[in-house]
Amino acid sequence: MERAELTIVVLVLIGIIVSSGTMYYTATVVSNVSTVSDDMSTLRESMLNLTSTVRDLATITGTLAEAMGEFTQTLADLEARLAAIEASLAAKAKETLIVGTTDGVEATLDPAQAYDYFGWCILQQIAETLVSVKPGSISGTDFQPELAASWNSSTDGKTWDFTLRQGIMLPDGTEFNATHVKYSFDRAINLIPDIPDGAPANLGYDQIINYTEALSRYTVRFVLNDAFGPFLGIMACRSSAIVDPAYAPMDAQVNYTSGDPRGSTAAAFLAPYYLSRWERVGDKDIEIRLDKNPYYWNATSEYPKTKTIIFRFYRDFSTLRLAIEAGDIDMAFRHISAIDALDLEDNPNVEVWWGPPGAPLQMLCFQENHEPLNDSRVRKAIAAAINRTAVCATLFPGLANPTYSMIPPGMLGHTEAFTKLGDLNYTLTRSLLAELGYNETNKLEFDLWYESSGHYPLSAEQALMLKQQIEGSGVIEITLRPADWPSYRANRNAGIMDVFIYGWYPDYFDPDDYVFLYWASWLNLHYSTWSPAAYAEQVALYNEARYTSNTTLRVELYSQIEDISVEQCSIVPLYLMPPWAVTKPNVKGVVFDITQDMRYWLIYIGD
Amino acid sequence: MGLRSYIITRILLTIPTLLLLLSMVFLFMRVLPGDPVYLHFEKKATPEQVEQMRHLLGLDKPLWTQYIDYLLGLVNFRYFLQHGYPNLGKSMQNYEPVGGQVFSAFPATLELAIYSMLIASVMGILLGVISSKSYNSVLDHLIRGLGTIAYAIPVFFLGIMFQLIFGVYLHWLPTGLRINPNVQPPAHITGLYTLDSLLEGNLFKFFESLKALLLPSLTLGIVLSGMFIRLTRTNMLETLRLDFVTAARARGLKESTVTYGYALRNAFLPILTMMGLQFAMLLGGAILTETTFSWPGLGSYIVSRINYRDYTAIQGAVVMFGLFVTLVSLVVDILYAYFDPRIRL
Repeated sequence: MERAELTIVVLVLIGIIVSSGTMYYTATVVSNVSTVSDDMSTLRESMLNLTSTVRDLATITGTLAEAMGEFTQTLADLEARLAAIEASLAAKAKETLIVGTTDGVEATLDPAQAYDYFGWCILQQIAETLVSVKPGSISGTDFQPELAASWNSSTDGKTWDFTLRQGIMLPDGTEFNATHVKYSFDRAINLIPDIPDGAPANLGYDQIINYTEALSRYTVRFVLNDAFGPFLGIMACRSSAIVDPAYAPMDAQVNYTSGDPRGSTAAAFLAPYYLSRWERVGDKDIEIRLDKNPYYWNATSEYPKTKTIIFRFYRDFSTLRLAIEAGDIDMAFRHISAIDALDLEDNPNVEVWWGPPGAPLQMLCFQENHEPLNDSRVRKAIAAAINRTAVCATLFPGLANPTYSMIPPGMLGHTEAFTKLGDLNYTLTRSLLAELGYNETNKLEFDLWYESSGHYPLSAEQALMLKQQIEGSGVIEITLRPADWPSYRANRNAGIMDVFIYGWYPDYFDPDDYVFLYWASWLNLHYSTWSPAAYAEQVALYNEARYTSNTTLRVELYSQIEDISVEQCSIVPLYLMPPWAVTKPNVKGVVFDITQDMRYWLIYIGD
Repeated sequence: MGLRSYIITRILLTIPTLLLLLSMVFLFMRVLPGDPVYLHFEKKATPEQVEQMRHLLGLDKPLWTQYIDYLLGLVNFRYFLQHGYPNLGKSMQNYEPVGGQVFSAFPATLELAIYSMLIASVMGILLGVISSKSYNSVLDHLIRGLGTIAYAIPVFFLGIMFQLIFGVYLHWLPTGLRINPNVQPPAHITGLYTLDSLLEGNLFKFFESLKALLLPSLTLGIVLSGMFIRLTRTNMLETLRLDFVTAARARGLKESTVTYGYALRNAFLPILTMMGLQFAMLLGGAILTETTFSWPGLGSYIVSRINYRDYTAIQGAVVMFGLFVTLVSLVVDILYAYFDPRIRL
């Protein structure tokens, strides 16, 4: 190839390369410009979006601020409402007293049947009697008017006229009057054959009352078979509560009906409270609720102090103690154990209330059908070997008081008759038993029974101490025998137990309801069979005291009964127990007296 | 045998079982010492009153007549439909229908049993699995020790400790009862407070019921969990050594899948049996817990009725327990057949 041709080829190649490069560069630039243009448009779009977003954000911020404002307001409202609820709860808490107990209604809340402490306790709050024992009473015989404004008795003591308060309304709008009273007592007596275990049967209403008569709308007359000294005591009993004929059939007992508190009691709602809820599972109470009775005749007195009382039922005393300590309940009454109650006295979060020793009595009973217990010397020998003071000091320190009479101190006719036998008087024990051939080698042997299911306080410990004391004489040997309450009661009825510890809570507060225990047939001790002369004399004295209103004479007669009782020792009185309750410190108004009644309408929750 | 035939056979087998139980309870109650008629009276009754009461309670009839009357009463479906509970006779102490009493006490026991079993099984199985997984380590020894303590601790002691700590000192939980005394219990639908509260749509009552349930069910649950811990651990240790577990691991399955999906499922059958047995035991054996926490269940009911030799009430309660135990056994058997088809063969 020529040099010129080579130059041309080179130039063409250079041209091609340069032009290609230029074209590539131009295309790239154009593409880049297009991309930049696209980017610019995207940027513009993004800018627009951003502006919109910022605008939205501003709106959202505004809304948020508004919402925050509303939220703050709502929060403030909630706080205010919470404070109001708290205040309302606090106020409500003050209106409601929660009572824990291990007790329970034994069968019904019908005055014609109920014959147990707790049943009577509820009836006391929801049912009204003509008269009642004054709160704080020392003797138990200071009566105050309730539904009766006044009363008087004839000189022979056989006729009692009660003038009723006027204007007392029942919830159904009818006015309480003399026919209600007559109906209540006629019904109680009419039901005695059908309810032999009921209170009216046990208190002998049919023997005491001949008939009841409505003299006028507001005057009712009771004509008795004989003058009856403790008649007002009977009138103050829960079995004398006025019933509502609409709920209390003349010929049938009123029983618990699930979901129907009104239909579950025969009581006329005339008292400070009415039964608003009663729930049982099986035959155990789960909840009893009492609400303030808007028809209460004495509402102007500002009773009841607390609007609602709720009873909650615990299985045993230790759980009840934990509940009051934990603050689950406001008040624990019947039965935190006495020892626990003493222990709680140092606890600043609770308050322990003690009442005077009075109503519940512990005694030692002898089955006279079991020889040689039919010999009064044997019974006296055993009674002389007892040291009541030591038992009280050991088992019930500062609580129980030894008693040497069936009639409590402060009550008409109280004596110290049994001090004649002395305490730990082994000389007397040995000499009396020696007369019957008993000595260190030929010991008197018997079973001492005690209740083992908690019906009586520290019954096993009592029995053990009594065994040690009596065996200390060296001429007696005792075998301890336990039984749960139902069996214990059945054993008593069957006359199985040689010697047994028993308790008594009176129905009304009069010596009449204490001294008869020495020969009470239901204790089934066969005293009248083995000691007929003494029995006849005691009953004659008792009836004389019962059917007179001469107080001096009654005191003398009861003293004579006690003297015979010491010689016979059919029953030996041991100790009297006080009542106690444990409450939160802000619970006020607990009043105890000899009756051991808990008057819940006096109780309130303070600050 | 198919699953359906198996279930039908098992149901039919429960009938003679129940009949045997009923007959035994009926006869044993009547040969025990103590006459319910005498225990009924507060004071000594006259022979006429005793006879009247004996007649009223139907105890003056020959034994076989009483037995037939009792069985006829039980299968009286009209009575069941009218009252919502079977005719188990009337209480010899207060003449109330025993069926009503038993049915009102039973939900409390059932609720306690369900929650306790829930706590016991979750806690027991989980700890048992963890223990078996960390075999012979400190954790394993700790869990085993815990299981032994839980099993050995008296239920009432643990209950009182919980009451003291959470009730008295911390004030977090109530010391007893089924619901806070300040709160009205939910309306009775099933009798299970937690469920009834939810059905009522009341969350406040639900939480209050739950709070009251917590301590008693935790107490029972912890005590029961001891057995489940040991049982789960032992069974898991055996199962984890089996070839199929090694094979599952070799295939690269996650350890949790191997443990819970394969091993536990295979080790579960004996645990299920024990759960059924324990649940049945719980219904009858929670008496101490019921007493400690004042829980108004069937256990407390039976104890109080035994004191009064209330034949009909005890019979009723035992029949109820028997029925429930049979039912639980039936459910366990069916579950067993479901988990292990070889049983149906």
